[in-house]
Amino acid sequence: MAPVDLAQNTLDGLMIGSSYALLAIGFTLIFGVMRRLNLAYGPTIMAGVYLGTAAFISFGAPSLVVLAIVIIGASLVGLYVERLCFRPFGEAARTASMVASFALWMQIEEAAMHMLPQHMNPFPPLLAAPPLEIGPLMLRADHLIMLAATLLLAGAVTYLLARTKLGLAIRAVIDQPRAAAIVGIHVERIMMLTFVLASAIGGFAGFLIAATDAQVTAMMGMWATTKGLVAMMLGGLGSVRGAIAGGLLLGVLEAHAQWFLGPQVRDMVAWGLLFVILAFWPGGLMGAKALDRTMAVGRRV
Amino acid sequence: MDTYVITVLSNIGMISFVALSAYILLLSGQISFGQQAYFGIGAYTAGIATVMWQWPIAVALVLGALAASAAAGLVGLATLRLSGIYFAMATLAFAEIMRIAAELFVYRREIGGIETGPDGIDGFRDIRYFFANDISPFQSCLIVYALLAAVLASLFIVERTRGGRLLRQVGEDPLLAEVQGIDVMRVRMAAALSAGAVAGLGGGLYAHLMTYVEPRSFDIMLGVHALAYGLIGGLGTALGPLLGVLIDIGLLESTRIFRGYRMIVFGGLVAVLLIVRPRGLLDEVAINRIRQALRRRRRAGG
Amino acid sequence: MLDVQDIVTAYGKIEALKGVSLAAAEGRITCLLGPNGAGKTTLMYSIAGVLKPRRGAIRLGGVDITGQSPSAIVARGLALVPENRLVFPQMTVAENLEAGAYQRRDAAEVAVDIERMYARFPRLKERRTQLAGTLSGGEQQMLAVARALMSRPRILLMDEPSLGLAPLIVEEIFRIVGELNKDGVTIFLVEQNVHMALKVAHHFYLMEQGRVTFSGEPGKLAEDEVIQRAYLGTSRQASSHKTG
Repeated sequence: MAPVDLAQNTLDGLMIGSSYALLAIGFTLIFGVMRRLNLAYGPTIMAGVYLGTAAFISFGAPSLVVLAIVIIGASLVGLYVERLCFRPFGEAARTASMVASFALWMQIEEAAMHMLPQHMNPFPPLLAAPPLEIGPLMLRADHLIMLAATLLLAGAVTYLLARTKLGLAIRAVIDQPRAAAIVGIHVERIMMLTFVLASAIGGFAGFLIAATDAQVTAMMGMWATTKGLVAMMLGGLGSVRGAIAGGLLLGVLEAHAQWFLGPQVRDMVAWGLLFVILAFWPGGLMGAKALDRTMAVGRRV
Repeated sequence: MDTYVITVLSNIGMISFVALSAYILLLSGQISFGQQAYFGIGAYTAGIATVMWQWPIAVALVLGALAASAAAGLVGLATLRLSGIYFAMATLAFAEIMRIAAELFVYRREIGGIETGPDGIDGFRDIRYFFANDISPFQSCLIVYALLAAVLASLFIVERTRGGRLLRQVGEDPLLAEVQGIDVMRVRMAAALSAGAVAGLGGGLYAHLMTYVEPRSFDIMLGVHALAYGLIGGLGTALGPLLGVLIDIGLLESTRIFRGYRMIVFGGLVAVLLIVRPRGLLDEVAINRIRQALRRRRRAGG
Repeated sequence: MLDVQDIVTAYGKIEALKGVSLAAAEGRITCLLGPNGAGKTTLMYSIAGVLKPRRGAIRLGGVDITGQSPSAIVARGLALVPENRLVFPQMTVAENLEAGAYQRRDAAEVAVDIERMYARFPRLKERRTQLAGTLSGGEQQMLAVARALMSRPRILLMDEPSLGLAPLIVEEIFRIVGELNKDGVTIFLVEQNVHMALKVAHHFYLMEQGRVTFSGEPGKLAEDEVIQRAYLGTSRQASSHKTG
């Protein structure tokens, strides 16, 4: 394979990987504070995106308004999921809350289908510009914007977590929830805020992806769920940095797999890699620290 | 009997196999999102056996169950050390790998002048053993339930013996079980193997009753549904998963009351139900109460 | 300052506290001794709001705090140094201290307090950018105490601070307890180390199987008997368990 192709694939992979990274950040934040998977996360994003799409189709809303609707919509749906699937369940009923989130996945997807019955719907595009050419490499301007936006948002989240009081509280709840309660942190409120924040981030990611595709399909919920989960696991559970790394890695791997093995095998590569990593290095890219903490999570199902 | 009713009953019967498969693993303390893979392996294997190799149905079904079980064993070797979300993701990964592999799997032969066999993403058509051998839908439904009854009977027997107790002990608290001298890995492997076999058997039946299977039939939806049935119906008894299947397929889908809104209603109901009963309707507490009530009645009567 | 009346706390059907009453006087050091499983940690968590009592009342400075959330109770001036320290392992020493001051709004004063903590616990200052999970047991204990102090509590609850620590460190911990008390902090201390506890306590209680079985000043009961009851339960039970 020519070095140009290598570079091009890697570049394309990083672009799409940045959206995976955002999805993974959302999953990671929720898993971090809740210690369980939110299977309704992908559909939450899809619901937000669908609301924005409906506004676009019905009223011709401009992109920024659509973005606002998507983010707010996703946040509200996220709040709904949190109230029903996570708030009422304690430590001992983790599986039940995961299954409840799956039930809501089905519910939200069906509601979305009622909103927009078509399998494919138009979405306001991010940018209508010809692709840039940097030497022998082709770069779509809107992909570049998506990458930049992703990095900005990831940076903002990292800043929030590292340097603000809210971020300290979130990290405390993720790290040691009982001690967080003892120092006076309102753990339930923090969990809710994190959930909504993660949903908003997901909404943002959904907007970017739909805008670069200029369309939205009914498969979005499933797609966001699977990509987000795999990216999160690749990067190692419970680490925002890992989520970003996992997402980018997933994007690059998929791009190369598609080049060599065709689009059908592309998805298999992601799952195959995940399986191998879990079988041999369950901690993912970021190592075993996250593993030790979450192993305790695996006790009573 | 009305063909529609037979179809619904057959569906309930076949899906119960996957539900039981996930249930067995839940008892051992493992969440699996991937039992649909073994359902699919059983379906394809049994279908190939009858269609391509002209073997009798009984052999085909057994072969399907064995193939699925073997796969479960191999996967288990790699994953049973994991727990919680890691195990769940590993099972999902395997199931998706299998599903995509099925999309690429082409094995065509000319049988009786017609080209048949698994055709990648287009699936596996013309699994017409039942039709070719004059087995009516009603009879095939009976076969499904006969086999289901056999599986249930085995599970009931296991529940009452030491095996069942070990299984639940490992599921409740693996660390404690380990300390008490129980070989946790062996118990988990046994659970995985039997769960695989049960799913594989169901898959074989599914292939022959549907006469057509495609990779899409064995996606994550089926897997998480299988899991959900046990959680809804209750983990206190093997009848729990069946109750879950009955509620979903029997009540909601088939009565068509909520056509188009089925998932909205069902999804909401499930979420609310789980808040009240995190271990399902027929959870261990409920089963205990039922058992005690029956015991009291028996004592009073005799 | 702290008044506990007839607290019953249960885990499901099992009552861990079967009606516990005690008090911690303001400005004094009150100790709670007792064997493992007596319910001491359950009591601490019930007071701090982590567990909700089924019956009974807890008053802090005259205000009823029974069943309130931990964050509300911290706001009233209570801080807990929990059993097993429970530091935030993935956060630095400095961040742990910041977390202790979570409810405070006076950032400048918080910074001053952090420097004060470093002055009192020099080893923490050395390790201030280190992850708390990598600290030794004794250092984590210091950190847990310092973190609790960051909220400027009126009363400090300490649950078995000497657990698993070397004797030299234990002495240091108790020296700090004495110092804190001299500075005016009310201390309610749960301990297994009877000898050290009786040296600092103004008043102590014995707890066995979910009930308070003795209340008095050090000296009221011979230390030997206290040790026996704190580790083995009441004399009656102890003699049936004696092996030789």
